[in-house]
Amino acid sequence: MKLTVNGTDHEVDVEDDMPLLWVLRDELGVTGVKYGCGIAQCGACTVHMDGLAVRSCQVAASSADGTEITTIEGLGTPESLHAVQEAWIEHQVAQCGYCQSGQIMQAAALLDQNDDPDDETIDIVMSGNLCRCGTYPRIREAVKTAAKKLQEA
Amino acid sequence: MKYIALALGLLALPAFAEGENVTIEPPAEVSREDGLAAWDRIYEVASHPRCANCHVGESQRPMWSGPSYGEPRPHGMNVHAGESRMGAEFVACATCHVERASLNDVPHAAPQVAMAWQLAPVEADWFGKSSTEICTQLRDPDLNGGRDFMDLASHLDHDLILHWAWNPGGGREPAPYDLQAHVNDVLAWGVAGYPCEGAPDLEIEEASE
Repeated sequence: MKLTVNGTDHEVDVEDDMPLLWVLRDELGVTGVKYGCGIAQCGACTVHMDGLAVRSCQVAASSADGTEITTIEGLGTPESLHAVQEAWIEHQVAQCGYCQSGQIMQAAALLDQNDDPDDETIDIVMSGNLCRCGTYPRIREAVKTAAKKLQEA
Repeated sequence: MKYIALALGLLALPAFAEGENVTIEPPAEVSREDGLAAWDRIYEVASHPRCANCHVGESQRPMWSGPSYGEPRPHGMNVHAGESRMGAEFVACATCHVERASLNDVPHAAPQVAMAWQLAPVEADWFGKSSTEICTQLRDPDLNGGRDFMDLASHLDHDLILHWAWNPGGGREPAPYDLQAHVNDVLAWGVAGYPCEGAPDLEIEEASE
């Protein structure tokens, strides 16, 4: 299968039903994306596929063939962070941090389609991304801050 | 007058139509009694969790119900499908229900088919409704997408999400009977005049006006 990950083209030889998560982590060494539950119930493995948030544990390699994948490594750079990453730091959202790449990728996808989400929308959209540390209030505030940054950009 | 189209469908039966995945061959004649028996089987399918869980109304919230769920409850992860009925306003159904040519057979994982996952149209709100309620909805062109029974059979032939109901994988209980038997029942019910127990029969004579 062929796919583009964070702007780099790759060709990998894997079974059709291998989850994209394993293609990224085990075949390509892109480990910012995390394994949580393996059944789409926690959101830790969220990446963007052709611009849309997906749970990479649920994406068969055959479904990802020919797509453009963006992971947390490709969202911003240390020199030029994405607005969501900046807001995450400002609000010190992360505690243990394990779920954060999935949270940030989901939040970035939300703001791509809605640059001024209300609290209800933020809560609905982010409900699929679990945080065992319970950082949800900081997540909501950081999403609102990121929205303002994007509006002012 | 909205039943005229349905009635015209009764009068203009094609002798035979071969579907892509099933045979669509309406019987020449079906008694009201046999039509009601066909409906009872249709209701078993329509009210089964594999179908009804995504036939919800203006809540826009798919349901989780069935043998493995205990009490019925809204889809986890606070999923709201929105007015788009496919989650475009919030989290797209396709975030987890990714288009895929083969079955996702992992227990408790997201069902996937080779088309965009979505709720049924809001008019097709069947979840928790009685046999008579669903029967009168399904024969009403305003609530069934403007379809007569041949159109319903064609819809069943083509919609891959519907096919999933009989082959859900992941240890889920499939809908009863099979796709061909369900199509046959829809055809028999339609030829019989769409009878619904507990509701007046349609005024088929309008077709001759």
